[in-house]
Order: sequence, then structure tokens, then C-alpha cells
Amino acid sequence: MHIPDSFMPLSQAVIYWIIALPFIITSMKWAKNELDEMKVPVLAALAAGIFAIQAMNIPIGMGTSGHMVGAALVAIVFGSPWAGVLVLTLVLIVQGFAFGDGGVTTMGANILNMGVISGFIGYYTYVALRKSVGTSIASFGGAWLGLFISAIVCAVEMWIAGTFPLVPGLVAMGTYHLIIGFIGEGLITSIVIMAIAKSRPDLLEDNFTARPEKNKKETHA
Amino acid sequence: MSGKSNVKFFYIGIAIALLLAILAPFLASSDPDGLESAAGEIVEESKMSQIEATEPVVSSPMPDYSIEGLGKGGEVAAIAVGTLAVLAISLGLGKVFSKKI
Repeated sequence: MHIPDSFMPLSQAVIYWIIALPFIITSMKWAKNELDEMKVPVLAALAAGIFAIQAMNIPIGMGTSGHMVGAALVAIVFGSPWAGVLVLTLVLIVQGFAFGDGGVTTMGANILNMGVISGFIGYYTYVALRKSVGTSIASFGGAWLGLFISAIVCAVEMWIAGTFPLVPGLVAMGTYHLIIGFIGEGLITSIVIMAIAKSRPDLLEDNFTARPEKNKKETHA
Repeated sequence: MSGKSNVKFFYIGIAIALLLAILAPFLASSDPDGLESAAGEIVEESKMSQIEATEPVVSSPMPDYSIEGLGKGGEVAAIAVGTLAVLAISLGLGKVFSKKI
């Protein structure tokens, strides 16, 4: 879903950068408030893993392939969509500048789609679902929906850019990412979350993310 | 929760990431991704060739996760370099941000 430079006029690419910037800055503020020496190794390992897994395109049939995005996974582990925005921003910067995966002018749009939209939708869908359906299905559903919606938004952006016709764009992007979201995003996110839940339950939710902030003067048993 | 166990998480994470970097060039599908496939289907030919002829604004040192002339080994190296770069940037950022203690 990485939009190359050539898919979007520069004027529009700049607008997506302007929209993305406040999200990027807020994710940095999140890092400043939340990251400590316990969380940094987890964030770094997840970021590296997401970069590597994005290089592994999975065939989904119809001559098409897709890969994981990972913003929902990071957001679920850290209990905040801002963590997802931060990691995807770092990953997309390296991909865009070093590997030509996604344009540099369109990086704002890519950060918006893959970091912000898939992270926020993925995380809040997970939060809404987890009490009724459990962690594994909620993380699957959140990750899947986050990827699907970001693909739909990407199709609309491509229509505004004059690159895609609206309805065929929505149908093609929707169909492909419905499937990519199932395997590439939902299944992998759910497996990783369940593996962490089993081996390091303290990393998820209460203990890891809802820990009293260290600058708060709360006493706790 | 001990710091030691997060260090363990860190090393397991890196090991998995590097394993993926080694496997990706051999296992990844060479089919175009969803956005490119959609473009190939629905964008008219004249516009598509115009898009394809446009060079990226910034030329990257390792386009398409490969190093020129090095084949699969170069792809493994490129992805490993990228993985370690993301790791270094995240650690650096984390170090800067968590220094305020």
C-alpha cells in the first residue's frame, strides 16, 4: 500500500504531509512521556520485526501480493495507537529513503494511511471487541479492519489524485486488502499477540501500559 | 516485570527479525502488491506508462530491497541492513526520550 511519488501530484502530497505532521509530533510526545528503559527494547524489537516482515510479501491470488503493516500490533502491545504511529513513521522513513518503497513526497500520505488510520482503527476496534470476544479474536478483527479501512482511504486518495477512477479503485483496493488483511494482518497480529500473552502477559495491557507513570506520585502495593 | 526479561524479548525480537530478513528474499511473492495490482488493472495504459516513466523524487541506495549485482544475497543483506537501521533508530530515539529520568 506504499504510494510511490508518481501516484500523486506534489500539491496533494504536501497536504497529506501537513495532516500527518501533528500525528507524528504527538507520537513523539507519547514517546517522551511513556518510553522508559523497560519499554524501549520492546519498541525497538517490534519496529525491527515489522520492517523485516513488511519485506515478505504474501501471495493472495489474482496475481497480487500483500504484506503486514503492523501499526495495530504495536498499538495493542503498548496500549496506545500513538506507539503504532511512531513505529510506522520510523519504518516508512527507512523504507522510503533507503529502499524506494513508497515515495518521499507521498510519505505523509503513507504515514497517515498505514500509521495513523490502521493504528487507530486497529487499536480501538480491538479495545471495543476484547471484552466480548477475547484477546485473540479482537486483535485479529482490529488488525484486519485497520488494514481494510486504510486501503479504502488509500483508494479515495488515489481518486482525488486523479490516478484511480473512484468505484473501480474502491473495488480493487477493497478486494485485495480484504484478503491481505485476513492473512497478512489479522492472522499474524493475532498469533504474535497470543504468543506475547502466553510468554509475557505482563507486556500486554494492565501491567505494561497501565502502569502508573513514573512521574506520578501514586503509591501502590 | 524485570528489565532482564525485556532484554530477552529484545534479543528474541531481533533474532526473529533477522531470520525474516534471511527468508524474505526466498519466500516473498514477486507479484505486485495490492496498490500496484489495482493500478495495473484500472489505470488506462497511457497514464500508466506515464506513471511508470516517472522516477522517484529521491533515488534510494538499495531500490526494491536489493543491492545491484548481488542477487539473493544482496537482498538478504539489504533487508538485514534495513532491519538493523530501524533497530538503531528506535533505540536511539528511545535513549533520547527516556533520558529525562
